Amino acid sequence: MCKSCGCHISPDTDKSTTRASKHDNSKIVDVHKSLLEANRRQAEKNRHHIEAMGAVAINMISSPGSGKTTLLEATIDRLGDRLRIGVIEGDIETERDAERIRKKGVPVVQLTTGGACHLDAPLVHKGLHELEALAHEKSGPFFDLIFIENVGNLVCPATFDLGEHRRIVLLSVPEGSDKPAKYPAVFSTADLFLITKTDLIKYFDFSVKEAVSEAKRIKPSLESMEISSKTGDGLDEWCEYLESLCN
Amino acid sequence: MHELSLVQGLLGQLESLAGQHGASRILKVRVSIGEESCIVEDSFRFGFDAIKTESSLTERAELQIQKVPGSDLMLMQVEME
Repeated sequence: MCKSCGCHISPDTDKSTTRASKHDNSKIVDVHKSLLEANRRQAEKNRHHIEAMGAVAINMISSPGSGKTTLLEATIDRLGDRLRIGVIEGDIETERDAERIRKKGVPVVQLTTGGACHLDAPLVHKGLHELEALAHEKSGPFFDLIFIENVGNLVCPATFDLGEHRRIVLLSVPEGSDKPAKYPAVFSTADLFLITKTDLIKYFDFSVKEAVSEAKRIKPSLESMEISSKTGDGLDEWCEYLESLCN
Repeated sequence: MHELSLVQGLLGQLESLAGQHGASRILKVRVSIGEESCIVEDSFRFGFDAIKTESSLTERAELQIQKVPGSDLMLMQVEME
């Protein structure tokens, strides 16, 4: 609105990108530019970079404590001798998750966001270079599978493409089966939905049927799997899925 | 609170736009937020109002937000002088 008469400035009819406002000496600039564009461009570069490393990348998104790192440990135990795996860990603070993965003998880079609740493509770009340098010392800068473990958060990471090939959302049994309905955005952008900690299902009021049907309501093509990293249930199917991505 | 980092990106864009157009003050900023973008309008506004005062360029800028279908966050129009 113009200060002097309170008129509404319509962005429609004028095709020019810049024009003078009618009633004062201000200037109106039509921009129509995505604020997520810079991240998207970097994400595309990351994807090419990952492919040049021979790999497929997986962005793992979930709440804190839903078992992302434990699943990675179990996955490395099963596939580590067949696939060249690299891991980028995202956390607000500490190297703890990276230390756990390092013990499994695979190259791992810890990214700490220093407060930010998500990873973004520029941070992952940095992580990829570090991962490449680490692997170079061992067996050459090539991978089959790169896991990017996002900051524990079921909301914000959904907005940021990191350059991954598959986005996987995890929901653990103690969190409750209503979460897909409550946090739809992350489910609408995911390629696979993992229900984790299924060994706890007898102790919690968790309905797999509800979780899966709500997730499918949000995204009909979303496939789901039920996994317990502790007992190993569902890990065969999960590992087959990962191997099929690498072929 | 990823809204704050998005607001920082927006203010960076406003600075370069003002530079391009020789403006010294941003008056109004119109953005559109997609309904499925996971961006909370109130948090975005809170972040904008918190950070805009750090620069004389934006300290008096008014933010107008339009909710639209989709998942993008767009800078639509800027009024400056």
